Amino acid sequence: MSLSPDFKQRLMTTVAATPSATQAQSRRARWWLLGAGVMGALLIFFLKGGVRPTGRPAVLTALTSLGASISGGLGMFFLLTTRGKSMLRRPAGVLLAAAVLSTAAFLAWKMAWSAQFGLTFRWPDRVGFRCLRLGVVVGALPLFALLASYRRTEPLRPATTGAAFGAGAGLASAVLVDLWCPVAYLPHLLLGHVLPILALAGLGALLGWRLLRIGRH
Amino acid sequence: MPVATYLGQGGVGVRPMSPDEAMTHYARGDTQAFSSVYDAVAPRLETYLRRHVRDPSQVEDIVQQTFLQMHHKRGTFRDGSKVLPWAFSIARNFMIDLKRTCGREVASNVHDDDSALKAFLVNDLADGEQTLEAHRLGARLAAVFGACTEHQRNAFELTRVDGLSQLEAAQILNTTVMGIKQCAHKVYEKLRAAVAEPEPTGPLPLSAYLVPSQAGTLASTVRSRRREP
Repeated sequence: MSLSPDFKQRLMTTVAATPSATQAQSRRARWWLLGAGVMGALLIFFLKGGVRPTGRPAVLTALTSLGASISGGLGMFFLLTTRGKSMLRRPAGVLLAAAVLSTAAFLAWKMAWSAQFGLTFRWPDRVGFRCLRLGVVVGALPLFALLASYRRTEPLRPATTGAAFGAGAGLASAVLVDLWCPVAYLPHLLLGHVLPILALAGLGALLGWRLLRIGRH
Repeated sequence: MPVATYLGQGGVGVRPMSPDEAMTHYARGDTQAFSSVYDAVAPRLETYLRRHVRDPSQVEDIVQQTFLQMHHKRGTFRDGSKVLPWAFSIARNFMIDLKRTCGREVASNVHDDDSALKAFLVNDLADGEQTLEAHRLGARLAAVFGACTEHQRNAFELTRVDGLSQLEAAQILNTTVMGIKQCAHKVYEKLRAAVAEPEPTGPLPLSAYLVPSQAGTLASTVRSRRREP
């Protein structure tokens, strides 16, 4: 048994009657969306004070930011891209490993260099809630942009892909929060710098299931 | 992968394009190329879906939805990407959706007709005893195959029956190539052991008559593999 004889004709007629964006149009729209998301995040970051050394040596700021950028960038590479030339995303295990390892690397790097400068002491007035708020707000905009630009394109694991987008956006925001916050006390880092990554991954999973999923027309 | 006949825009004298290239052209705006993508992808998609979906109209519906989705999202197609794993994963998604909404009735591995078994048995077998043996073997293989996990069955079907590469199957099932290799190998070993088992005597189990088409396909797959040096 095969498809009905006029099936192809009907399909081609439907396709011809339904406009869809070409590669160039999609790319343009995506760049606009992502650009707006990143610009919005940077705007919030600079409105909140931008880079704040707050008594940190410039070398330490540069070193921690460098480490955060490298680990975050590597994590984002695995979280936000597909494997090779493929339309399908990486397996869930790889995404989870990328998120966990890059977050752990970022944390270890920050702690190690801050310890070298003797700056891992407790800051009683900086529990981490302000960093948490900033991290979530700054990361949310690129996350929304990513979700909007890849809307209805994920056939396999929309929630996992959304979570990966969230973790990627969280890592990017962690780099900015690191430039903003001088505290290297572990509980503060866990609450203010790592929790936003988890929160954004959770938000991404939730929204990803709704927005990225391919549903029936 | 079969080569599509589409030659590109105004393309007399140009080499035929693969479905991946045709999809790339379509994504860039060459509307003629979609027909070529259809010709290369639809038959394989249909074969895959027919093994899992009972109702032919639902198979058509899923194929249509898959191609419409590919059309709607052609702008997201990356140059050089493989179109087949993408199409399979979209179709599989629709199939799972259908399974969820319509329950077990729709997405069953059991076919109403036994055309595959007929093709396998009636054309090749000489007498009743061989037919009986084939029925028994089919039932045994179906039981063994049914006892494998869904992931193992999917890995085996995509690589051994649908002819996809291990990488393509890994992408569709969202796992690693190694995972696909292991799953397909496990199923293959189980089926081989079932084929090698001595024939039981006695009446045929009812399942021999209920799940023949898949068993026939499996038996031919395993037998053809056994003949290889």
